[in-house]
Amino acid sequence: MSGAAVLPRRAAAARRWHRGVPARVPYVVIALYALMAVLGPLVIDYDPVHTPLQDRLLAPGARIASGEIAWLGTDALGRDILAQIVYGARTSLTIGLATVLVASLVGVTIGVVSGYARGRLDAVLARIIDILQAFPAILLAIVIAGVFARSVPVVVLALSVTAWISFARVTRGVALSLRERAWVDAARVMGVPVRSIMVRHVLPFTVGPVVALATLEFALVVLAEAGLSFLGIGLPSTAVSWGQTIANGQQYLETAWWISTLPGIALSLLIINIGILGDQLTARYGQRRGRI
Amino acid sequence: MTHFRKSTATAAVAVLLLTACSTTTGGTAGGGTAGRDLTAAGTYPIESLDPHGAQGATTGTQLAAQAIFSRLVRPDATGQVTGDLAEKWEPGATAAQWNFHLRSGATFSDGKPVTSADVVASFERMQKLDGPNAANFPDYEMTAPSADQVTLTAPAPDASIPRKLGLFYVIPAGVTAEDTAFFERPVGSGPFTVNRFAPSEVLAMSANSKHWAGAPQLDRLEIRTIPDLSARLTALRTGEVDVVWGIPDDQLPVLRGTSGVTVETVPSTAVFTMWFNSSSPALKSPKVRRALWQAVDFATIIKQLYPETGALADGLVAPPVLGYAKQEPVGYDPQAAKAALREAGFESGEKLRLQFSDAEFRPFVQAVASGLAESGVQVDVLEKEKAVFTKDLLALNWDINFQQLATPTYDAASNLGRLYPCAAGRTGYCNKELDALLAKAGASADEAERAELYGQAGQIIWRDAVGMYPMTVKLAYAWGKKVTEFTPDPSGLPDFSRVKLTAK
Repeated sequence: MSGAAVLPRRAAAARRWHRGVPARVPYVVIALYALMAVLGPLVIDYDPVHTPLQDRLLAPGARIASGEIAWLGTDALGRDILAQIVYGARTSLTIGLATVLVASLVGVTIGVVSGYARGRLDAVLARIIDILQAFPAILLAIVIAGVFARSVPVVVLALSVTAWISFARVTRGVALSLRERAWVDAARVMGVPVRSIMVRHVLPFTVGPVVALATLEFALVVLAEAGLSFLGIGLPSTAVSWGQTIANGQQYLETAWWISTLPGIALSLLIINIGILGDQLTARYGQRRGRI
Repeated sequence: MTHFRKSTATAAVAVLLLTACSTTTGGTAGGGTAGRDLTAAGTYPIESLDPHGAQGATTGTQLAAQAIFSRLVRPDATGQVTGDLAEKWEPGATAAQWNFHLRSGATFSDGKPVTSADVVASFERMQKLDGPNAANFPDYEMTAPSADQVTLTAPAPDASIPRKLGLFYVIPAGVTAEDTAFFERPVGSGPFTVNRFAPSEVLAMSANSKHWAGAPQLDRLEIRTIPDLSARLTALRTGEVDVVWGIPDDQLPVLRGTSGVTVETVPSTAVFTMWFNSSSPALKSPKVRRALWQAVDFATIIKQLYPETGALADGLVAPPVLGYAKQEPVGYDPQAAKAALREAGFESGEKLRLQFSDAEFRPFVQAVASGLAESGVQVDVLEKEKAVFTKDLLALNWDINFQQLATPTYDAASNLGRLYPCAAGRTGYCNKELDALLAKAGASADEAERAELYGQAGQIIWRDAVGMYPMTVKLAYAWGKKVTEFTPDPSGLPDFSRVKLTAK
């Protein structure tokens, strides 16, 4: 609880932060992915509906019929793998960001209200969180994504349904301890409306842990989206997704390894780097979470 | 948090492994190598052994049923009707009545003789359960004039009765409709008897020494379900299984390169059928439907995706089926297609919903969508789960419907006669002239006349482009070196009673 105990940990975290190149690798990698997702589609042209069959199953570096080079090969319908990775990055990052945004908005609101209000409202909300947490997240996502027609918003909804829980738990814990702090008491005594207290005096302190958590959730969401697409639920077949590309190459692992392997590597690299980044951020901002 | 790092890393690798693990099934020197034992891995799971029940029409149950039970008659590998329990059969005064004479000496595996009472009881059980096979015999009645004769009476003349009876299996009388325990270790008169059955996993059988045609060459037959294709092919290469079928084209060269593996393709009765919903305003005109057919370069798609197991179709049904008639091919002509669409005022603004069900057809359907898109026709490719697909199919909730349509009875009656009359309401297409032809063909007892009539009906369907009929399908079989006499079956239902193994 004491500041003295916290400070050395904080200082150590800060030192790790400044320790140089290795610690910055995740930033660079994630920036590259973001760049690829934003600018890639402007440079590379790709139409998932178009299937140039004469170019099917070409190895990386082979020349396609139009004379261009397929740097990462083509799939069973002659579509370029590099383009699928680039467009897939856009899909993954978009769905990841949207889901984390929705989940954190819902989660933080419920968490802060629940933690600040305490009493009966808190008891009800906390039990709902407990019940939802007992449910396997991916199963719930599969059910929801399976019931509705395939589309991006449905995937975002299916993944958000369970993703908000961790946000709510973290912010509830922070809010519970913050509401006892002197400045919150002071605001209350001065007659500041409850809503303003929550927004001005409680909410800002949740930002650190929420950002750290959001990073980790982001990695899980990207992975879950790939999993859903791999199973053939969620995204429409006109959307480009790493999971779909990996699934398409499944029966060609022996003869055309590049179809599944390369998007798989792209996915793993992103997840691992986000994970490392998330750990770094948690070490830096998330220590309050450790006390909850 | 380290927990997270661990779990994420594991999960990330898991997606890769998910695909990788499928080929790494333990290559143990599998069962079935000793003695005269054969292990087969089919394309579809066996979920039930009850040939009269709800699963009765599935390929898996049919495969099991023909090994365990007998039929009155059955189609041979060329599609001709041959006797099984029935030695001979003939129509009565009209084709509404058929008499079947049972062979003497046929017994069940428990030693009891097969009598006409068993046949009639089985038929009644099938009708009572009202499964998909019973739908072929609405209000039909079977009676037993004597112990070795049965008579099937139809409400109207039906010449396809012998072929349709290929779906009807005989079980001992006394098995009630609700008796599920019987099918755990069923007693039948087929070439094999059941040792162990685990639904969707394995069906282990041994030879029935009391079979009327003599015991099969095999001692034991095991039909295993291996859902994943690459695992199935690996099992064939390691010798874990001896026969595999339903292999996609892209895997055939690899298998051919494997020593000791024989690969053979056989023309099946299946045709890729892509109906247009003629009740949808955009597709009402035969000109539009025909133009859409012309807009897709099917020849190239087939050459690229199905170089070995596909061929451009020239009829509504496959050549071995009664009622097959060669039609004039619809060639690829994008210019003519575009012009015809423009002339007909086809609205390209709205997307056509193209529905299909199995993932194995995804590449083909996507290639068709690509072809249509090049002619300016936007298509929404909708891959549906089987139950949803069937529901939407019957509700005409689609614009183009893709199906691999097989004719297991080798008779156009169960394809053209069942699907294209106005009353069937399957395609939104209705033509009185066609209805009359189909009704006449269904009622005639003369095979040549029926073939002629179905040919004429086919011509109308083809001309009006009720659907696109791009491809006839071949089935690819592969078997290991210990199997010597194996006849690939066009319906994907190989007969294991005649299979021989090399002496060891």
